[in-house]
Amino acid sequence: MVTDARQSLPFSPLAAWRAYAELARKAFQRQLAYRAANLAGLATNAFFGALRAYVLIALFDARGGENVAGYSVRDAVTYTGLTQALIACIALWGWWDLIRSIRSGEVAVDLLKPLNYFGYWCAQDVGRAAAQLLLRGLPMMALYALVYPITLPPTRWHWLAFGLSLGLALLISFGWRFVIGLSAFWVQDATGIGRASFTLTTFFSGFLMPLSLMPDWFQAVCRYLPFPAMITTPLEIYLGLRAGVDLLTALGVQAFWVVALYALAQLILSAGVKKLIIQGG
Amino acid sequence: MRLYYRLISISMRSQMQYRFAFVVDVLSVLFITAIEFGTLAAVFARFGHIGGWTLGEVAFLYGLVETAFATMDMIFSGFDPDYFSSLIQRGQFDQMLIRPVSLPLQMFGQVFMLRRLGRIAQGVFIFGLSVWLTSLEWTPGKALYLPVVFVSTVAFFGGLFVIGATICFWTVQSLEAINIFTYGGTTMLAYPLHIYGVWMQRFFTFVVPGALLIYYPALYFLGKPDPLGLPLFMPFLAPLAGFGVLAIAFAFWSFGVRKYTSTGT
Repeated sequence: MVTDARQSLPFSPLAAWRAYAELARKAFQRQLAYRAANLAGLATNAFFGALRAYVLIALFDARGGENVAGYSVRDAVTYTGLTQALIACIALWGWWDLIRSIRSGEVAVDLLKPLNYFGYWCAQDVGRAAAQLLLRGLPMMALYALVYPITLPPTRWHWLAFGLSLGLALLISFGWRFVIGLSAFWVQDATGIGRASFTLTTFFSGFLMPLSLMPDWFQAVCRYLPFPAMITTPLEIYLGLRAGVDLLTALGVQAFWVVALYALAQLILSAGVKKLIIQGG
Repeated sequence: MRLYYRLISISMRSQMQYRFAFVVDVLSVLFITAIEFGTLAAVFARFGHIGGWTLGEVAFLYGLVETAFATMDMIFSGFDPDYFSSLIQRGQFDQMLIRPVSLPLQMFGQVFMLRRLGRIAQGVFIFGLSVWLTSLEWTPGKALYLPVVFVSTVAFFGGLFVIGATICFWTVQSLEAINIFTYGGTTMLAYPLHIYGVWMQRFFTFVVPGALLIYYPALYFLGKPDPLGLPLFMPFLAPLAGFGVLAIAFAFWSFGVRKYTSTGT
C-alpha cells in the first residue's frame, strides 16, 4: 500500500482541487454528526456571551452610554456575540489533529499521499469550520439578535467583504495552528506549546476586547502579529469600522499573512520531514 | 491519611518528570495572568468603573474566586468530570472499586495537579493587589472570616466537580453543562453581581449559590452596601452554601456509586 502511493504521480491541479473538495466535504459531514457536542458547545458559548454582554453594558454605562473608541454599546455587544459565534469556527483554542497524527506516526502515511500536505489538512479544516459556522456560529448570532439589539453590516459590499475577510481569517488561523502543530516533530509536549500559543492567540487577536480599547503600545505590537487578522479584521469590517481604501488594506494584510504563514509552514515542514526520515520514520 | 500523602506525592513526582511541560505550563499561566490583568486594568482605565466598583474591588472578587477555584481544581482533580469520564470509559474506576482502599481516598489521591500552583499564585497575587488598591481595612472579624470564605468556596466548587463526575455514571461522557457552572461560574463571580440580569442573580444566589460565597462576603470585606437590599446576614452564609453544596454532592455521589455497582457493570 505504502509503496504504491510512493510510485503514484502527484495529482494534476484539477484532480488535486477535486481531492481537496472531497476532503472538505467529508470533514463537513463528520462535524455535522457531532450534533450533541456542538449543541452543548453552543450553550456554553451563549452563557459566556451573556456574561460578556452584561459586563460591556455595565462598562459603557459607567461612561454614560457614549461611544468609546468608535464603538457604541450596540457595536460592543455585537462584537461579543460575533467573537463567541466564531470560537468554534476559527478554532482559536486548539486543533490537535496534526499533533496527534505526528505522535501516532500516521504522518508518515499522510506524507506519502500525492497531495500537498498543507492542503490536505487545510481542506479538512475548511470543511470542519463551515460545519461549525452553521451549527454554532449562525445560531449564536440568531440568539444574540433575539436578546440584544445588534449592529449589522452597513452595505451589501460590507457583507461581501466580511465574508471574504472571514475566509481569510480562517486560513490565517489554520496556518498558525499548522505551524504550531509542526513542533510535534521535535518536541515531546507539543500539546503544551499548543496551549501556550493558543493563549497568545486569544489575547492578541482582539477576542477578549476590541483592540481599539487597548492602550496604543499594545495595538502597535499587535500590528506586527498575525493574530488580529484572525478576529479583529473581519469584525471591524462587519461593524463598518473600516471603509474604502482602509478596508482594502485590511484585506491585503490578511492576504499577506495567509501567504507568509503558508511559506513558513512549508519551510518548517520540510525540516520536519527531513528529521522524520533521519529517524527512520 | 498517610496513604493519601503517599498517593499525591507519587502523582506529584510523576508530574515533575515532565519538567519541560511543567515549566511551560507555569510560565504560560504567569504570562496569562499578566495579560489578563493588564487587559482588565486597561479597560478600567478607559471606563472608570463597572457597576460602581473600582478595579481594586473587582480584583478582590477575581483574586478570591480564581485562587479558590484553582485550589479546588488541584485537590479535586480526580473528580474533574472530563478526567473522571475517562476513568469510567477505560474501566479504571471498576478497578478502583475492587481495591481494598477506601474509594474517596483513591479519588482524591488520583491526581494532584501541581501545575495549578501557577493559577493559585496568580489568584493570590491579584487578591494582594486588590487589598493594596482598595486600602482594605482589616478587622479581627474579617481576618477570621476570610479563610472561612476561602475554604467554603473550595468546598462549593469541589461539590460542583463531584456532581459533574457523578453524572458520568449515567452519561459516561461528561456534561458540557457542568462547565457552565464551574468555568462560567468563575468568570461570572469575578464581576459584581448586580451588573447581571435579575434571573441570573437569583439563580446564582439561591440555586447554585456562588454569589453567597464571593459577592456577598465581598460586600462585607469591602464595606459596601447591598444594592439589592437583601438581609444583612447574607455575607455570612458562605460556609453554609459551600459545605451544603459539598454535602449534597457527596450524597449524590454515594447514590451514584451504589447504583453503578448494583447494576453489575
